[in-house]
Amino acid sequence: MLGFLARRLLGTIPVLLCVSLFSFGFVRMLPGDPARLLAGPDATLQEVQLVRQSLGLDRPLWQQYATYIGQTVRGRLGQSSRTGQPVATVIGERFMPTLLLTIAAMGWSTIIGIAIGVVSGVRRGRWQDQASMVLAVSGISFPAFWLGLLLIDLFAVRLHWLPTGGEAGWASFILPSFTLGVAVAAVMARFTRSAFVEVAGEDYVRTARMKGVPERLVVWKHTLRNALIPVITMAGLQFGFLLGGSIVIETVFAWPGLGRLLVDSVNYRDYPVIQAEILLFSFEFVLINLVVDLLYAVVNPEIRLA
Amino acid sequence: MSYRMDISRRGLLAGSTAAATGLAFQRLARAQTRSGSLTVGVNANLLTLDPADANDTLSQSAARLMLEGLLSFDKDMKVIPQLAEKYEANDSATEFTFHLRQGIKFQDGTPFDANAVKVNFERIANPANHLKRQGLIAMLDHVEVVDDHTAKCVLKSPFGAFLPTVAHPSLQLLSPAAIQKYGKDIGRNPVGTGPFSFVNWSPDTLKVRKNPTYWQSGQPYLNDVTIRSNPEDGARIAMLQAGEAQFIYPIPPQLAKVVQANPKLDLVNDPSIVVRYMAMNVMKKPYDDPRVRQALNYAVDKKTFVRVVYNGFAEPLLSAEPPHVTFYAQQAEYAYDPAKAKQLLAEAGHPNGFAATLWGANNTLSITGMQFLQQQFAAIGVKLKVEPLEGGVMASRIWTVQHPADSQLELYYGAWSSSTGDADWALRPLFATSAFPPSLYNVGYYSNQAVDADLKGALETADPEKRSGFYADAQKRIWQDAAWVFIGVESVIGGRDKSLHDAYRLPDGGMMIDAAKYA
Repeated sequence: MLGFLARRLLGTIPVLLCVSLFSFGFVRMLPGDPARLLAGPDATLQEVQLVRQSLGLDRPLWQQYATYIGQTVRGRLGQSSRTGQPVATVIGERFMPTLLLTIAAMGWSTIIGIAIGVVSGVRRGRWQDQASMVLAVSGISFPAFWLGLLLIDLFAVRLHWLPTGGEAGWASFILPSFTLGVAVAAVMARFTRSAFVEVAGEDYVRTARMKGVPERLVVWKHTLRNALIPVITMAGLQFGFLLGGSIVIETVFAWPGLGRLLVDSVNYRDYPVIQAEILLFSFEFVLINLVVDLLYAVVNPEIRLA
Repeated sequence: MSYRMDISRRGLLAGSTAAATGLAFQRLARAQTRSGSLTVGVNANLLTLDPADANDTLSQSAARLMLEGLLSFDKDMKVIPQLAEKYEANDSATEFTFHLRQGIKFQDGTPFDANAVKVNFERIANPANHLKRQGLIAMLDHVEVVDDHTAKCVLKSPFGAFLPTVAHPSLQLLSPAAIQKYGKDIGRNPVGTGPFSFVNWSPDTLKVRKNPTYWQSGQPYLNDVTIRSNPEDGARIAMLQAGEAQFIYPIPPQLAKVVQANPKLDLVNDPSIVVRYMAMNVMKKPYDDPRVRQALNYAVDKKTFVRVVYNGFAEPLLSAEPPHVTFYAQQAEYAYDPAKAKQLLAEAGHPNGFAATLWGANNTLSITGMQFLQQQFAAIGVKLKVEPLEGGVMASRIWTVQHPADSQLELYYGAWSSSTGDADWALRPLFATSAFPPSLYNVGYYSNQAVDADLKGALETADPEKRSGFYADAQKRIWQDAAWVFIGVESVIGGRDKSLHDAYRLPDGGMMIDAAKYA
């Protein structure tokens, strides 16, 4: 187990090196002069050149990359060219709101999604199944932008129960985490249902029923447990995507997260922040995949980690 | 019976829990609107609170809560004294002397004096400090401390627009002790002489509180101010409707009616200095012919443009600069006349019109404006292809082009605001021959020696009458040459709680809330 963990973690190093090279090259392929964008719409040429020098963008590309890698290896991510703050601080300020919102949204939506999927799978073809799937399709189809504004209008403007947005206390999590989780719950429900239905048709499930195993045990132990493997994979993927920050949710609810930061950074060609965010997202995905693999073994002890 | 009782008890419990939760939420939401506190909802995050390093109006407006300048603008963008009581200039516009108010201290106790002016201005003007607004006072040679309360700015070359430049929010003063203490981090630890002191700034929220030692007695009226960013227009208006914010901006013209329909809210609608124009590349055919440029001016119904694109929140543009900029000289309108436009095109050798590509910003308002022009020009046979460009693409295709011959631009739908409120910065960056990209923003490569002479002459004197003459002539020539299609002047729109007074939007798009109060 420890050997598995060590190998996997060591394996992230070449992945992150490749990502760093791609992200470095990618941001520089974006059209537009970052110095001009940062200097502002009414800057003079002299002001633009001052900005370019201060960002080190007047040096050859290989030197810029060497500096970037050298700093990153030493744990220094440089300074945001837009605000002048250390990149670690900029990302640190945004990471926790995104992480907490992701946990809140994933928490309720995974539980509800799996529950709906199981009900739907158990009652396949009946009204419960149809109702659940109508709900799931609606959840996927609702544009988050529209749903968010609708909820703000009802709960903040009309009822005055909840704040319109911003991260200020637990009440501010309710609307964004609900809006963010709706689509996730819907995906989880559909995924759980199809996995559940597939496993329910397996020989070992039919054998269990024939042997007279109580239905509750057939559903929860023999069927759901085996159906959970693809569901965990999907949950891991969803978690990874949400950790990247949801641009729509963060915009509608004025949430100070990583998604808005990435958009702002791309708009201003804030190279250090874009590079660091891409590196962070890649690292998150590597970690999540690792956790997913570990969970496979927990759910199904027949899976050995080696 | 007992079963039904049980259900009803459960129902009661659930109902009261929901009601209690609802009330708790309500209290939470209302607690945010205490009297004496003001929350302002804006559309973007602040970038820095060092105004000399800020190129966005929002950051500069926020800094204005804590910092002050020698001069400032009133709500009509007229230059007024602030930390300087009076000022004078020599005839050749190379020396400007400021007599400072006495007995004022920065929020950290540092006295405000001529040395503070020297430290601040020379810090901004020094290219080694890499401050984004260095160019504003690049002409400054040095500041002479005449005595504790008199500072003389000595320039390298004449600059008649120096006073409005000093009133620019980027030249607000920071405490010299704080500059020394915080170095490059001064932008996150601002210390000025202003009505409010810095409290904290998280990614999207700035908090400031009343400066108890503020030099203007009785002010400020508010105890604290919070500036919160909310990028989505509808959600920002919801902040105002829900009472979470008492002042918000901007409001897009198409959503203004939401605020107008609410009896508890006022729509702030003030004229701005933001002009909308269409530049034509005069180095390219057919725009090298003034008749074509005039034809395009006659082809646009500006009054309908204002109604359709801006829902009425704009005015037709009647000169090369807007009315709230100094030395404005109104010209005779290019009245909407498609027949005359067609005739001019025919005289220029284009009886069947021509095809062209129009570039502009990639946002709803800009795209709507470009589509309006597309329809108007179609009526005279000019087939327009509208191409919205992302900011970075625009920079590489328009602003950073090294030689006029390399420019691919035909038509450009743009906007400009003279951040100093002065005619120099309204005209020179857009019409001077020396302002071709990449140095400045004359993207149509318009060049007229007489206009260049006017713009130069106006900078070589501090005499307002002489400057007025130069700028009147320049505006007349630019208008006659039809250097642009002159379209409109935008209004600045915001929303305000009815109980809040003296919270304004400035014509440059910023805000002024330092003297705001509740009725």
